[in-house]
Amino acid sequence: MKFTIDWLNEYVDTDGISSAELADHLTMLGLEVDAVKDLFQELEPLKTAQVLSVERHPDADSLSLCQVAVGPETLQIVCGAPNVKPGLVTVIALPGTTLPGGIKIKKSKVRGIESFGMLCSERELGLGTAHSGIMELPEGTPHGQPMMQALGLNVTMVEVDLTPNRPDCASVIGIAREVAGVLRRPLTLPVDKAEVESARTSFSVDIESSELCPRYGARLVTGVTIAPSPWWLRKRLLSIGLRPINNVVDITNLVMMEYGQPLHAFDFDKLADRKIMVRHPHMDELDFTTLDGVSRKLDPEMLMICDGVQPVAVAGVMGGMNSEVSDSTTAILVESACFNPVSIRKTARKLKLSSEASYRFERGVDPGGCLLAMERAVRLLCEVAGGVAVPGGVDKYGGQRPLKTLVLRISRTSELLGIALNYEKIADVLLSIGFRCKEKDVDSLWVGVPSFRVDIEREVDLVEEVARLVGYNAIPTTLPTVHLSYPEQDQSRMIRTEIGDLLTGIGYFEAINYSFTTEKHLQSLGLSESDPRCRLVRLLNPISDEQSVMRSMLLPGLLENVLRNINFQKNAIKLFEIGKVFAPKGENEQPLEKTRLAAVLSGNRFGDASAFHFKHKSVDFLEAKGAVEHLLQGIRLWGVGDASPLSFYKPEQSRIDPYCDSLQSLTIHAGEQEVGCVARILPEVLRKFGIKQDVFFFDFDLDALCQLKGVPKIFNPLPVFPAVGRDIAMLVPENVEAGGLVEAVLAAREPLIERCEVFDVYQGDTLQSGMKSVAMSVTYRSPQKTLTEKNVEKVHMKIVNMLSSKFEGTLREG
Amino acid sequence: MEQKLNSLLDQARGQLDRITKDGAPDEVKKQLEDFRIRYLGRKGEFSTIMQQLGTISVEDRPRVGQLANTIKAEIEQYFEDHKTALVGTAGVKGEGFIDLSLPGRVPERGRLHPVTQIMTEVCGIFEALGFSVAEGPDVEHDYYNFEALNIPAHHPARDMHDTFYVSDSILLRTHTSPMQARIMENQQPPLRVIAPGKVYRCDSDITHTPMFHQVEGFLVDTKVSFADLKGILTVFTQKMFEKDLALRFRPSFFPFTEPSAEVDIACVMCGGSGCRVCKQTGWLEILGAGMIDPEVFKMVGYDPERYSGFAFGLGIERIAMLKYGINDIRLYYENDLRFLSQF
Repeated sequence: MKFTIDWLNEYVDTDGISSAELADHLTMLGLEVDAVKDLFQELEPLKTAQVLSVERHPDADSLSLCQVAVGPETLQIVCGAPNVKPGLVTVIALPGTTLPGGIKIKKSKVRGIESFGMLCSERELGLGTAHSGIMELPEGTPHGQPMMQALGLNVTMVEVDLTPNRPDCASVIGIAREVAGVLRRPLTLPVDKAEVESARTSFSVDIESSELCPRYGARLVTGVTIAPSPWWLRKRLLSIGLRPINNVVDITNLVMMEYGQPLHAFDFDKLADRKIMVRHPHMDELDFTTLDGVSRKLDPEMLMICDGVQPVAVAGVMGGMNSEVSDSTTAILVESACFNPVSIRKTARKLKLSSEASYRFERGVDPGGCLLAMERAVRLLCEVAGGVAVPGGVDKYGGQRPLKTLVLRISRTSELLGIALNYEKIADVLLSIGFRCKEKDVDSLWVGVPSFRVDIEREVDLVEEVARLVGYNAIPTTLPTVHLSYPEQDQSRMIRTEIGDLLTGIGYFEAINYSFTTEKHLQSLGLSESDPRCRLVRLLNPISDEQSVMRSMLLPGLLENVLRNINFQKNAIKLFEIGKVFAPKGENEQPLEKTRLAAVLSGNRFGDASAFHFKHKSVDFLEAKGAVEHLLQGIRLWGVGDASPLSFYKPEQSRIDPYCDSLQSLTIHAGEQEVGCVARILPEVLRKFGIKQDVFFFDFDLDALCQLKGVPKIFNPLPVFPAVGRDIAMLVPENVEAGGLVEAVLAAREPLIERCEVFDVYQGDTLQSGMKSVAMSVTYRSPQKTLTEKNVEKVHMKIVNMLSSKFEGTLREG
Repeated sequence: MEQKLNSLLDQARGQLDRITKDGAPDEVKKQLEDFRIRYLGRKGEFSTIMQQLGTISVEDRPRVGQLANTIKAEIEQYFEDHKTALVGTAGVKGEGFIDLSLPGRVPERGRLHPVTQIMTEVCGIFEALGFSVAEGPDVEHDYYNFEALNIPAHHPARDMHDTFYVSDSILLRTHTSPMQARIMENQQPPLRVIAPGKVYRCDSDITHTPMFHQVEGFLVDTKVSFADLKGILTVFTQKMFEKDLALRFRPSFFPFTEPSAEVDIACVMCGGSGCRVCKQTGWLEILGAGMIDPEVFKMVGYDPERYSGFAFGLGIERIAMLKYGINDIRLYYENDLRFLSQF
């Protein structure tokens, strides 16, 4: 909602209040000021000028050679306007002036004759569309004055961001009422009483449903001359960004902005049978062209204004071409009506057509104000457009409701707001903006709600009014008194936090990607159509194809992030994301939402760590696996003793995802259930994402991990006796997994064996081809005694023999 | 012989690994010296093997010789490293120049996303005030997102939410407020809950991303007042921004609260004197709040005469922008490491 301060001053005197103070008052009343702007500043250098004489240009028939007075100076100007004539006061742009459109005026020669400036049209000044001649200022306007001053253009515009509950403030008078209340100054209205005289009218109005049209007022004005509006009226509209059209249309717009009541002006002679019918369209009337020239498809549920034959306007939204006011119009039927908000909203939505009128009707127009606005418009049509008001008119008020009276409890108000209030204080603030108050009993009052406050229906609405008018800043600041209780912790949230700490602790950065994505990614990954991840939750109204489905996996987003970072020359990329993925359930059912964890790594394994200490080394599969081990150890689901619920598996070929390198893939299982995987991504898949370097990833079903119970922390007494370490280097066939050897050693369950780990795997020319050497160190310890060489040797030999026979290996000599 | 060389390497490493710092310094030195003599000495094991080089065939000799050199170098390197680790180099003991300007050996570290960091901080403040944390679905029923919050179909307040729809009645939640209805439906007062999460609006320009994060909070009990709401939010903002920032509550409208307020803090950039960030107003809007509307209570079966409560909602990205001075909201979801590594 825009208005200007000089306009506001017509209804309430804001003298002595600066525009900043005014804006602050409005904002603190809940009418948030978005902008305060001094308008027309770009017209500052322009001056008024009076044409003294006009001669024909010697070399051009269409040009005139004028002598123009600008204060004490007389200048020679060449002008092409047909309306230039001696005595005319107009606007001049002197050399050096830049017009709003960007044109810079210079002293120039036009067809050989010097011209010392330019006389301007409205369009050139950005004040309208008129370009048929130079601007004509009222007779008697002195020349040589700044134009801003002569035309009263020093106006300040204020823009208020209205909340949907305050349609009453979608009007300058509504804003003025609030200002009058807070400043405690009187409110003066141009028309504050109106009724329709009962007289026989030359037209009739029928309303099909007073539910959809609670009130319909109409009056006839004849003898109107359609012309451009006078300057003061155009200025009002221009200053709030509305385009002046002609006097009749401008008057309806002005009154709408003034009273908040949308009006419509019909060309009376175009209304068949001199009839208005407010009804739904018939099935053969569904094609309709609105004032904006667009042909629209109606819906039988929409409410239309019709004449005796056909629809002439979409009720409360926009008029029709067929009844539009034209230059030859002489009789105007003014409509001032009130329509059902939901009906108007549905219509505007279906037509995708929103207007100043529909904006107001959707939010609720005061049915009590229809006649005031109509009276104001009729008077202006007579004053400005030379019309004659025909006595009598129509006021169909089938939807009239008694004014609301509510009970407001003083104690309830005080308790809810946390501030001690009494009758006097409450009544004082409510009265200031038009409520009526009467004491009911010791603790309550009757409050009469004015008709323009369509938003006030309940006691709590009045509590809000009181809070607003007392001022939120006047309410004290306290802390609630509450019963102590322990806030329960969400387990999965705690695990997410822990995972975040574990991964950032080893160099991973957290990413957050949009939950919506494109399904093309799934094709790039090579997923078959039958893959459950290809069943997607689709948006009905996506912003773009790139964001049209809810993601079913996290990996594609992270791969896009990898590419972006490669493009920005990051040579070490480690990213993880914890987020939801979505899978559809039934029609009109909420989809399944699962939380997953995914991470990608690519490039240098040492990240941004100092190159002085850490020479570049590319990440590999074991780097990814290591991160997974670190993570799972950290949340105590793996590698923390025999009872760890998770284990790594080498998946069967058929179960490996199509985007994974089958030679470098492991899955992580909890019993039978696969809960995650770690793998190298196939280069041909990466190329589809524009990535030309190795990328590894891991991915977990976080909900499943959260279901698992981590191994509890239990203290083991520290060993009393020393350990003995022995190494074994086994020569085994190259396809034997080192991990298998270690597992076999541990699986032997020799009580003296405390620990076994691989410390070297060697394959090379010095060995028999097809064989490799796996070196392990085994730690022996007894809880009862210090082990002797002999104790150890016995077990060690047993282990060596076991390994040799089980893995077709031999002990490497040494 | 090649096997011998290889196992010599394993053996040497094994023995060195067994020399630890545990012993007395002199003992360690002696062990190291013993090792050196045994393996690398003139009559050491390595030399002994090398003496047999002459016995192998001429064509094998270069290959084996090269292997021998490699292995010797490895043992020597391993020994030196070990020795440095155990007894240090001369330099570390303070003899001679040590270049202390060289970088320390810093392990790698990643960072949490700034949105997560702020979210954790916000939740932490409210948890300390006794609020519990609850999370809800991103894809929501129209009922919880709108109806239960006193926003019926065709209400103009729906214009405040540009909604993504999945079907007629299923949508991406436009705010975290549905959690009010979900929790109140299942629990009885007193309640103190915050609900963080992602929200979606089909709006994308320089100041809006179609997805962002909110935290919803609400407290329901008997005798909760607007003054209490002011108190809780004052505590929150002062902890969040780590200073006594002036706060301004001004009337606003949300269908599910009444009275409703928008809360501004004194501009963190200019301190309230007016700058580009606060559009010369001196204030920055950071959250919306209000007393829970009786209609919302009625819908979950609470008696509005008995209970009162307040609710508030705040945008995480907005707070991160103010706190860290981030100037472009789109940076949040590009996951550019140059951005992520700054927080």
